[in-house]
Amino acid sequence: MQNGKNGTLVEVRDLAKTFKGKNGKDVAAVKGVSLDIRQGEIFSLLGPNGAGKTTTISMISGLLAPTRGDARIGGYSITRQGIDAKKLIGVVPQEIALYPTLTARQNLEFFGRMYSMGGAELTKRVDEVLDFIDLTDRQHDKIETFSGGMKRRVNIGVGLLHKPRLLYMDEPTVGIDPQNRRRVLDTVKRLQSEQGMTVLYTSHLMEEVQEISDRIAIIDHGQIIAGGTLGELIQQIGEEDRIFLKVGAAAISEAQLAQLRRSVEGVTKATHDRREIKGEDDAVVDVDGVITVLAKRGRKALPPLLQAAEEADITVLSVEVREPDLEAVFLHLTGRALRD
Amino acid sequence: MRKIWAIARNDLRIIFREKDIWINLIVIPVILSFVIGYANGAGRVASAPEAPDVIIDVIDGDGSATSQEFLAALRAANPNFVLCPADNDDGDRCELGGAAFDAALAETRLRDQTALALLDIPAGFGTDLAAGQNVEIIYRSNENATAPSFILQAVQVSVQRLGASIVAERVGTAAALTAPGLTLDEGEQAALKSDIRSRASDLLAAQSSYVNEVVSETAGTQTNPGSGGFSQSTPGMASMYVMFAVFPAAVAFMTERQQGTLQRLVTMPITRWQLLGGKLLARFLLGMLQYSIVFAFGYLVLGVRFGNDPLALLLTMIVFTLCITALTLALATLLRSEAQASAVTLLLTLTLAPLGGAWWPLEIVPDWMRTLGHVSPVAWAMDSYTSLIFYNGSLATVLPYIGVLAGMAAVCFAFGVARFRIE
Repeated sequence: MQNGKNGTLVEVRDLAKTFKGKNGKDVAAVKGVSLDIRQGEIFSLLGPNGAGKTTTISMISGLLAPTRGDARIGGYSITRQGIDAKKLIGVVPQEIALYPTLTARQNLEFFGRMYSMGGAELTKRVDEVLDFIDLTDRQHDKIETFSGGMKRRVNIGVGLLHKPRLLYMDEPTVGIDPQNRRRVLDTVKRLQSEQGMTVLYTSHLMEEVQEISDRIAIIDHGQIIAGGTLGELIQQIGEEDRIFLKVGAAAISEAQLAQLRRSVEGVTKATHDRREIKGEDDAVVDVDGVITVLAKRGRKALPPLLQAAEEADITVLSVEVREPDLEAVFLHLTGRALRD
Repeated sequence: MRKIWAIARNDLRIIFREKDIWINLIVIPVILSFVIGYANGAGRVASAPEAPDVIIDVIDGDGSATSQEFLAALRAANPNFVLCPADNDDGDRCELGGAAFDAALAETRLRDQTALALLDIPAGFGTDLAAGQNVEIIYRSNENATAPSFILQAVQVSVQRLGASIVAERVGTAAALTAPGLTLDEGEQAALKSDIRSRASDLLAAQSSYVNEVVSETAGTQTNPGSGGFSQSTPGMASMYVMFAVFPAAVAFMTERQQGTLQRLVTMPITRWQLLGGKLLARFLLGMLQYSIVFAFGYLVLGVRFGNDPLALLLTMIVFTLCITALTLALATLLRSEAQASAVTLLLTLTLAPLGGAWWPLEIVPDWMRTLGHVSPVAWAMDSYTSLIFYNGSLATVLPYIGVLAGMAAVCFAFGVARFRIE
């Protein structure tokens, strides 16, 4: 086992996956992803649902065979030396991949045996993992009796059993309450700080990616569209603030938006999004309109912007200013919000 | 191998956590073995398995020496045959209860299954046979599906034997009378005829293999005709419940795929063979346990004897269970949801089992259906069990059946392994 140059643990090169669609045509889920993950870092893949995060992680973990390209984990090719590569990785899938009628301990022991562990070594390691995920007192309870958060913790525990050098975590906070989400994020940070573990983390939630990641790759439509540290990514969009002007149902013309752009110094972009809010019978009950303005030094630009809006006959209902973040980076790169 | 065993043990642990597992493994198959066996006539016949009387009512409308000769041949064909009312004794073997035997009573006895068959020998039977004319014995069986076939075979053999001795008498006498220089008066001719027929009868009777040859068209000498009900239902129900035990693996594959544990296993350092091997080993062991439970009940409670070749019996059990396990793998690659898998495997079990003779012996169904039935692995397994249980078959006898099952297993395994996908 060896690392690549500059302490690189994972090297992904031109990884691609094509599926057969329902109409028989090829659908490219991942279109040639390349990335490097360094030993000991938390590396996040950020992208909206359906961007190709899970497909990418499935190929790197050996679950899916790539249509093209390869990934090397600690020097082992996932396509040609799969068993050796898999020994180095722990996988925490998005869904709770556990046997519900078995106890937490039985689940951990079984999966531990898949890593050739047994006897006293396995018992000791299961005890350690149960302690780490804080479920020692519930170890003999069946998984089906656990809360969502507790199941998540066992799900993570299985990935840690054999002390992997690399841990894949695929959207591990989906569907859990804020308290358990906090717990998962803290666990990830502890794994890095206490055990020096390398973590590949996927999420569509920019707040958590922003919080835990050393480096981030943004993926959309099966391609990496940007990568680097948070600071490096924000630099790509010129550190502009975003100003959201809520305008309700009012119709906003392109001429009005152009007036906003012209009238205020530092404004680089002004777009209007109109969202229909539907009731139970699918009838439109309200319309929510927002003008998004990108501006350098947003707080300083706000007074003239509001004045320009008034002059352009735009009634502003409320205002919000946000400093540059991953959401803004994604919006800048794709023209869409991450949550769209 | 350790990982294969770990996967199998884990699956068995999950299976035995199911609430109704013991009901499915023990209670229902055991009850069905008893009920189906009883329905197949075991209740009456198996009550005295050591010396089962096979009661056959005879209306001898001819009452000739020839008809008596025919009945004697029938008695000789199977020592358990009791030809009533002629063979009745003080112990009332014919179960007449003192009633006068006539056609109406015979009809009733056939209907209520006191007699397994009724033979009606018409008047003129002896003279017609002696004259070389066609004769007709009316043979009627009751609704018991399992027992009459061997009676009918014995009747046919006895008629053939009688016919053969008469042919010998006619041919021999004719040859003697045409021999140059030989003249016989009527008394001498009658003595000659009687002598030739007697010798022919003795020769035919001495050929003990004669009856066996007829029966051996299917499997050899029938050694256990009386316990047909339970001897049929025990391997039949056991084989069906092996399918009920093993086929759910197809559903389990869907469940594991849905809950993500199958995908999780693929991301671990185990080979595809270890994964499939472990999963299938669990179901194979469950199938063997199912066989063992029903066979043990059959042996200890129902008095079923499984022949004299335990190795052949064990091999049949193993290869049939392997075949069903392989079929399960093949099915799992074709099915797309748990609901679909549940429905298809249930339908398949309830089709393959009766088609293959698990509910009733294939001997009673038309030839075309018997041929069609051998599409089912159950038919080949039942052929093997029938040979071992009823005809004292050996490994050499049942090897062809085992071979076919092994072939089916190989084809299904190859298909399943080639098509099996995790994603």
